[in-house]
Amino acid sequence: MDSIKQDWFSNVRNDLLAGLVVALALIPEAIAFSIIAGVDPKIGLYASFCIAVVIAFAGGRPGMISAATAAMAVVMVTLVKEHGLQYLLAATVLTGVLQIIAGWVRLGVLMRFVSKSVVTGFVNALAILIFMAQLPELTNVTWHVYAMTAAGLGIIYGLPYLTKAVPSPLIAIVVLTIFSMLVGLDIRTVGDMGELPDSLPVFLIPDVPFNFETLQIILPYSLTLMMVGLLESMMTATIVDDLTDTKSNKNRECVGQGVANIASGFIGGMAGCAMIGQSVINIKSGGRGRLSTLSAGIFLLIMVVFLGDWVSQIPMAALVAVMIMVSIGTFSWGSLRSLKDHPKSSSVVMVATVLVTVLTHDLAMGVLTGVLLSGVFFAAKVGTILTVESVSEDEGRTRNYVVLGQVFFASADQFVDAFDYKEVIERVRIDVSRSHFWDITAVTALDKVVLKFRREGTEVEVLGLNEASATMVDKFAVHDKSDGRDMLVGH
Amino acid sequence: MRTDNKILACVDQSPYANVVTDYAAWAARKLDAPLELLHVIDRDSEVTESEDHSGALGLDTQEQLLTELTQKDQIRRKVVRDQGRIFLNVLRERALATGLSEVDVRQRMGTLLEAVQVQKDSVRLYVLGRRGASGDRTQRDIGRHVESLVRVLKQPILTVSNEFVEPRRVLIAFDGTQMTRRGVAMIASSQIFRGLPIHVLMAGQKAAGTTSAADRQMEWARQRLAQAGFDVHTHRAQGDPEIEIAKAIQDLEIDMLAMGAYSHSPWRSLVFGSRTTDLLRSATIATLLLR
Repeated sequence: MDSIKQDWFSNVRNDLLAGLVVALALIPEAIAFSIIAGVDPKIGLYASFCIAVVIAFAGGRPGMISAATAAMAVVMVTLVKEHGLQYLLAATVLTGVLQIIAGWVRLGVLMRFVSKSVVTGFVNALAILIFMAQLPELTNVTWHVYAMTAAGLGIIYGLPYLTKAVPSPLIAIVVLTIFSMLVGLDIRTVGDMGELPDSLPVFLIPDVPFNFETLQIILPYSLTLMMVGLLESMMTATIVDDLTDTKSNKNRECVGQGVANIASGFIGGMAGCAMIGQSVINIKSGGRGRLSTLSAGIFLLIMVVFLGDWVSQIPMAALVAVMIMVSIGTFSWGSLRSLKDHPKSSSVVMVATVLVTVLTHDLAMGVLTGVLLSGVFFAAKVGTILTVESVSEDEGRTRNYVVLGQVFFASADQFVDAFDYKEVIERVRIDVSRSHFWDITAVTALDKVVLKFRREGTEVEVLGLNEASATMVDKFAVHDKSDGRDMLVGH
Repeated sequence: MRTDNKILACVDQSPYANVVTDYAAWAARKLDAPLELLHVIDRDSEVTESEDHSGALGLDTQEQLLTELTQKDQIRRKVVRDQGRIFLNVLRERALATGLSEVDVRQRMGTLLEAVQVQKDSVRLYVLGRRGASGDRTQRDIGRHVESLVRVLKQPILTVSNEFVEPRRVLIAFDGTQMTRRGVAMIASSQIFRGLPIHVLMAGQKAAGTTSAADRQMEWARQRLAQAGFDVHTHRAQGDPEIEIAKAIQDLEIDMLAMGAYSHSPWRSLVFGSRTTDLLRSATIATLLLR
């Protein structure tokens, strides 16, 4: 009971006000993201309403805003182009199912393998994709469009210097719409982009054949949507956690995103996830509780359904200005400054994530590249932290080797090369008490060292294996088994 | 200063803090135990305020916002911390004035539940107000923390209400169950009521007639307490325990009640209501909850 009160009703006035600001900012975004995905504006608007309302109840991070997003929209373009809207709705439902499974198996913990550089790369790539998606609206157009976009940006960034009481993107849209209607400008409007909602959404089942072929078509998209959706949601949750200095329930958020997407698919909406920009706007406007997310969704639907005629008159140039603001706000400009200060490997991971995403238009591919590269760099870094020291004893008859550091696939060769097998010696002691053997490759390397010494007629003793390493060695090593020499051939 | 086996008084900035301190100081004297006053700053209760509804995202908005919010929090937190320290020191003086030689104070961020759980191994008795800082506004009979706190803690908890009355007569609500038998044993072996007359009341269905089981249980309680040197009086009452206990408190001029608490699951309490909550609501005197 306490947590319900805390999550919902501890900050009512500010939550409602912030919800209103967010709803106003959501309208252009939902329309623009629908256009990016290649569907009618109403698909994004229904999705944004539905996802915001459902996640308000089911999500694990109060105060975070989820709706139709650019990150998800760029994934669906090809599916919509090749198979149509109904397949997108089916893929949306399947995405939800996969996200619920991800939440149940606690996939949220996998976020710890996504380094800060990958996250920054993801955010920057997302900002660039949002910006690039605006370019078709800015190419082969008259100067009026450029002037309108510039005026829009002027109002968005200028108005807050005069007053912060009203959302400046909304004022920009209203002013530009009125101006364009009064002057009768012949430029593209939202109405030209497709159908707007004129009624409340209704329940419908995606009209696709329920067979294996359909699954084959939608599954790859759903998997990517699941990954991108969860990644952006987890990242946004971390950002909101930091801003509000409170904790979120990441696994509940995964399940919540899934439930929201299933609901969205069944009312004819596209898949969505948490939104970095909108969540920042919400927190900035004073929103902290679940009520802010719920009210954002409800205000959005009310405004769109009842002000549909006006919404269709909004010039696309005004939306472009808002989206440029979103991309500027999403991009981490600080990351450019820190390129020169951060370790080279971190910068390479960040830039690679951005490059792969922008080139493939696939955020999942970019993140995967970043995660793999981080892994490789980490292995390389840790692999170099291995030293083998030695000292001779017993008038040159014995040599003591002391191994310090981590022995695993990346450092195994270095480990093997660190011993002098040709030294004429009777006995070798290898002290591994200050090292750790992590994998089969490490155990094989130890085998190799022991057997190489034995071939020279040298007695070998391995000392101080820690418990975990000893278990590995017991299980997989051959040097301590009688037929070791024959088995080594198999390695 | 000793820090184990202490009396932990949970205080918030409400009029009940004085009463909690007085009872905690009384228990500390009786038990010759160290006393600590705990004040928890529940940061979740802070409501945000924002003048910026511009909805505009500029360069590095997120970083700027984080810096701005951190600065605001820092200022607010410092004020709250200072207020809390002054408040605790006033209470500390109050406790020292009752004759205690040492009283420790502790202020913690977070929730009360977390704060008491962190210390649970070094505490022998908790003292808390039945209502908290929001009591006057919400008109609640029982503060929202009380039940969750009592369910989590395994040590005895002394819940107090509006004023401090030095206990002179004690009533044990006894129903023969394992929990109340443990409570009787606990009281028999404790110093807290040493020298005070103890009344044991069995009320409700069990007390009806002259069932041999009820007789045996009552006799067991009487003997257990008498052996420990208490002046014991036993009473049986047929009827609703809540009403009978309230009546006995009035008739016998009782000023402290001891009883078992929340032996049923929270789900059962949700459906059928909780007897402990009902009793706490009806009893206006300090109540020792035994777990």
